Amino acid sequence: MPEIILRQVTKKFQKSIAVENLDLTIDNRGFITLLGPSGCGKTTTLRMIAGLESPTTGEISIGGRVVFSSEQGIDLPPDQRDVGFLFQNYALWPHMTVYQNITFGLENMKWDKKRMKARADELMAMLRIADYGERYPAELSGGQQQRVAIARTLATGPKTLFMDEPLSNLDAKLRMEMRTELKRLHRETDSTFVYVTHDQLEAMTLSTKICLLREGKLQQYAPPLEVYNHPVNVFAADFIGSPNINLLTAVAGAGSAQAVPLVLNNGQTLSFQMTGGELPSEEQMLHIGIRPENVVLAGTGGLPAQIVATLPSGMETVVRLDMGGVPLTAVVFGTIDFAVGETVPVGFKTAGHILFAAENGRYVAGGAVAV
Amino acid sequence: MGWLKQIKMFCRKPHNLILAVLFLVLVILTLLPLISIVMDTFTVHTSEVMRIRGTHAGDFTTYHWSKVLLDGDNSLNIFYKPLLNTIGISLATCLIAIGFGGLMAWLVTRTNIRYKPFLSAVFVLPYVMPSWTLALAWLNFFRNPLVGGVPGLFTVLTGLPVPNWFAYGFFPISVVQGLHYAPFAYILIGGILKNMDANLEEAALLLKASRRQILMRITLPMVKPAVLSTFLLAFSSSMSAFAVPAFLGSPVRYQVLTTQLYRTLQGLNPGYGYLMALLLILIGVGIMLLNQWVLSGRKSYTTITGKSSQIALVHLRRLRTPLSVGFSALLLCVAVVPLITFAVESFIVEPGNYAWSNFSTIFWVGEGAVDVANGEPGILRNAHIFSGLANSFLLSLVVAFLTGTIGILAGYAIVRKKDHWLAHAVNQLTFFPYLIPSMALGAIYLSMSVVPHGPIPALYGTFAILILIGVIKYLPFASKAGINSMLQLGGEIEEAALIMGIPWWKRMLRIIVPIQKTSFLSGYLLPYISCMRELSLFILLISPATNVLTTMLFQYNEKGWNQYANAINLLIVGVVLLSNYAMNKLTGASIDKGIG
Ligand SMILES: Nc1ncnc2c1ncn2[C@@H]1O[C@H](COP(=O)(O)OP(=O)(O)OP(=O)(O)O)[C@@H](O)[C@H]1O
Ligand SMILES: [Mg+2]
Repeated sequence: MPEIILRQVTKKFQKSIAVENLDLTIDNRGFITLLGPSGCGKTTTLRMIAGLESPTTGEISIGGRVVFSSEQGIDLPPDQRDVGFLFQNYALWPHMTVYQNITFGLENMKWDKKRMKARADELMAMLRIADYGERYPAELSGGQQQRVAIARTLATGPKTLFMDEPLSNLDAKLRMEMRTELKRLHRETDSTFVYVTHDQLEAMTLSTKICLLREGKLQQYAPPLEVYNHPVNVFAADFIGSPNINLLTAVAGAGSAQAVPLVLNNGQTLSFQMTGGELPSEEQMLHIGIRPENVVLAGTGGLPAQIVATLPSGMETVVRLDMGGVPLTAVVFGTIDFAVGETVPVGFKTAGHILFAAENGRYVAGGAVAV
Repeated sequence: MGWLKQIKMFCRKPHNLILAVLFLVLVILTLLPLISIVMDTFTVHTSEVMRIRGTHAGDFTTYHWSKVLLDGDNSLNIFYKPLLNTIGISLATCLIAIGFGGLMAWLVTRTNIRYKPFLSAVFVLPYVMPSWTLALAWLNFFRNPLVGGVPGLFTVLTGLPVPNWFAYGFFPISVVQGLHYAPFAYILIGGILKNMDANLEEAALLLKASRRQILMRITLPMVKPAVLSTFLLAFSSSMSAFAVPAFLGSPVRYQVLTTQLYRTLQGLNPGYGYLMALLLILIGVGIMLLNQWVLSGRKSYTTITGKSSQIALVHLRRLRTPLSVGFSALLLCVAVVPLITFAVESFIVEPGNYAWSNFSTIFWVGEGAVDVANGEPGILRNAHIFSGLANSFLLSLVVAFLTGTIGILAGYAIVRKKDHWLAHAVNQLTFFPYLIPSMALGAIYLSMSVVPHGPIPALYGTFAILILIGVIKYLPFASKAGINSMLQLGGEIEEAALIMGIPWWKRMLRIIVPIQKTSFLSGYLLPYISCMRELSLFILLISPATNVLTTMLFQYNEKGWNQYANAINLLIVGVVLLSNYAMNKLTGASIDKGIG
């Protein structure tokens, strides 16, 4: 079974390090996303696993077989790794029709004509491009081209499918459709998907596990909701979630795990009840991570905050607030229209808040914030 | 063990293998010959034993260096005068090329002159045709009897004598070469003028700058890099040109470096020749370095080629029609009239007599009479000419096929491994022959090929050496074409097939070549056309059996068999123009593209 294991994989280009000491285990039949800001090494990682790029050092094995090892001098070419690759720009062959694009790999495997046609028809039907068999890629829309690329990649039945930002060129509606399609494909084809994106929403909705990268280094590797609820550092917390998490700077006072006093920039004090992690030391600089949906407006006995802007989007409303000099974002279900300048009391839900150390951004403790 | 494994892993990627092979082959074919020619400048050659007393062939000597460079009057005649002539001609050529080409570029891009597409197409014709075309036409017109022979058309028609300075030497060579290279200026300067953002000029106009100010402060500085490039290109080309000075200079013993090189290598003093070849190479390299330095310093200028909005054309007003007609007529004179003179000259029996009774087809279809040119049959029944024609075609086809293919492979490998030192090295090596003047390259191979070197037999006089030298000379163009088309392609197109296990040769033949076929095609056609009209590269290396059309033309002309020379020339020009036309049709690329 194709379990993919990366050990201490590093890739250096002339001057820069694209990926550094990456350890990663991709489970069989998983749907993994590589997520991170531009230039963090996602494409490079994918290309190294597929064999399109050789790591500088480290070891990669697929299904128990070592496909790359700098120490043993092994570097299997891509075609011996049984993988499929969906390129960011599709890389369809412009001089071949859709049908030829899909069957070229099969032709190379010496399939007979009838079997080839059956396979192509099956794929084209599944991807709803059956009508375009005789067209050339230039005569198709972006979304259709993309589905041809998927069909071409699936044709030879690779056990593992790599996809490099396949949806980035599509419009929002088509992107939604294709996400659903990809999830269905994943179920139907029974293979392992490794998916690159810098869109955190896509990662959240599609994957079984997110691999969060930053400047070539692994930040967190966990299921989406775990990354959302238990980010290991400020970067992970900030990268995932829209609107972004609130990060309030505060100094810890002396207290117990039941009630750590946190003094905000504006002089106000909050109390933190820990449910995990370790007690911050006295005078430690912290960031309090509060998801916008955990900010409660119109509670009683809350801190007063002024409305800066309301951004209704139909299903929910994003509210930007100013809490005595500290900016704060809240999300409220439904449509609420506050007047700018209006003062509302702000409270917090009783769980799901996180403390990070200001000096290195690491997770310190989780728990609840109280006014 | 680890070593072997690494080599094995390295060789498994085709582009690595290609680079390694090309590297080795090119080092052997371009760098080692350089060493050979340096050695030759310090060696006593068989034909020199008598002259350099007390030596044997193969001895070490500094005779050539001291004679050529340090021997007073002797050096002056052998080297310094030809050097000065070369420099003078090259400078004059540049002036004419830039002046005429620049004026034309300005007229076509910035004024409302008429017949722009026509002017543009005809203007680049002299460059497409072999360089000696105009030289021969000049001779047909302005030959004078002062140096022997018969007067040309001009004297016959007007009765006026043509002075020597006008007929031969510095003046006609500069004019002919200037016209031949003017398309460089036209294309480079025209490209800038065409693409230069008109807003830059309009912005100045809004600031109430005068037209003169705009021209001096904005337009000229912008085209300066193009002018410099043209200058260096035309300078180095005319410095290494052989045919034009050979045709127009020899009657009055006006020597330039290349003709001097040819003379000494053919004569009793090959050591001088090798030394001059070496000096020519050094000058060529120097100019290229200068060019790179100029271009790198001015990069910021040349990249200002934004989307140009509609440029306000200068209205020529009353001058419009006269200028349009005048320039059209002038260009027709330069491009078309020469061809007519070749035709005329090839039909007259007694040179200089243009009476109708004197016209005859014997030089085309005659059987050969004892009293005409030693009984040489007309060119359409002449076994020599046929063998020359066959050789020309064969040579051009083989060279084009090899060069184009190697160019594709080189481009592929260089782009695939772009940041590796080996790719850089191979890139430089494929470009290197560009710096070596054709004549000097011929001299290098002459020096290499007269005796066997290790496993390589003495190739002198064989067809193989013509092929070899042709491939090397045109490799820069072919590999440039290969690199450019590979750069347009992007790696993923191939990787998509690689990952499916499609073998390398199939990826090339089924994916890469079909997609980029038109741009690869120019990598085949350019060497083909260049080879068809090449003279100076082959002149030192041909033998009677391997004679090609161009070298025959040269020999007939040397013998004074004018009619044959003109007829062959017409043949060559025809083949070249047809090939060029085919190339335009096939690839859609034309030299003056986008300017006219
Ligand atoms: N061929 C290369 N040569 C030199 N540096 C490279 C090369 N390819 C990638 N890099 C560098 O490696 C780093 C990681 O690149 P990579 O393409 O993996 O980023 P990415 O995460 O895919 O970014 P994006 O989201 O923009 O696609 C970048 O800093 C990039 O500049
Ligand atoms: Mg990428």
